[in-house]
Amino acid sequence: MKLVTFVSDYKMTVDTLDRLKPEKLGIILVQNGVYHATTKENGKPSSMLNYSANYYVLQEDLETRGLSAANVIDSKVKVIKFGDIVDLMFNEYDKTAWL
Amino acid sequence: MGKLTIGCFASLVGSTNLDFAVKLSAAAMEKGHKVDLWVSGNGTMISIKDQRAFKDYSSLEKPLKELMAKGLNVTACEACAESRGYHADHTLEGVKRFSMDWYLGSAFDADRLLHIGGE
Amino acid sequence: MATTKLGFVVTRPGYKSENPKLALTHAIASQSVEIYLKDGDIVTADIAFVGDGVLNCLKDQKAVENYDLNSTESHIKMSLLLDLNVLVCREDLDRFGLSEKDIVIDAPEFGAEVEVKVVPYSEISQMMEEMNHLLFF
Repeated sequence: MKLVTFVSDYKMTVDTLDRLKPEKLGIILVQNGVYHATTKENGKPSSMLNYSANYYVLQEDLETRGLSAANVIDSKVKVIKFGDIVDLMFNEYDKTAWL
Repeated sequence: MGKLTIGCFASLVGSTNLDFAVKLSAAAMEKGHKVDLWVSGNGTMISIKDQRAFKDYSSLEKPLKELMAKGLNVTACEACAESRGYHADHTLEGVKRFSMDWYLGSAFDADRLLHIGGE
Repeated sequence: MATTKLGFVVTRPGYKSENPKLALTHAIASQSVEIYLKDGDIVTADIAFVGDGVLNCLKDQKAVENYDLNSTESHIKMSLLLDLNVLVCREDLDRFGLSEKDIVIDAPEFGAEVEVKVVPYSEISQMMEEMNHLLFF
């Protein structure tokens, strides 16, 4: 399956992402999930960025938290808007998961 | 164009999940997709009319009305609403109330489904 | 005639969160969805308990006695009565030191003929592949 997951928290208590093995995985960082794209702890980026996935972060949720594209620490994370989410859901992936 | 069904089970106040659901609905409709929004559990809070808007709390009545006028289909879980004291006579105009099978019925012909769980 | 398959994936324990109960009650609603569909069309619901969600499956829950609430156990049993496919992840049970004797497996008192299936995660993953839509709770 082609699965796009929405990660909305910074601290995850479930290991669902570790176990999902879709043919194609997209990770959209939204709400407090955006900190995975911008924050290092003890100098290390979030392990959330270690999956073999296409990464996206929602611009509105970055800006709401005083962040911007300039704060995104890994160039593989693409900053997107709500309209882009719609296009990803309909054109690139066939299933969704909100974690 | 396709059909998107969104289920949101999170509270209007204390979570921005419903805000996300409404913004995503708007974006999908702008691209010509049909959108069904199902609210259940604490998410039924969005179905109450005459909520006073404070800047410290999410308030979605205005955008919801605007989207419903453009065709957004919003349905609240009747049992979840009733259990919280949200009765039919205090439901936002245009919001329907049905049992949980409505959500599954909407999912039947949805091209995409996004289920946003509750707290 | 068409079939839409929904996979309900429960990842969290219950009671403090309403999520697991809502997963089960919505899955059970697949039995009455035909009022919204054309003749012959159906929606199926498979349920999987994974991660901390397997803790929902412990038996002898006394939610009615203590909180006057239907237990998650009773909702699982109702799901079995309605012949829903209920899967529980074996690796997660092992992680908690639990086995089949600790969880709800059947519901003969409800008249249920099917049983909960304790399966490796790979089978739950396969189930998720086969579904049209996934709902994580």
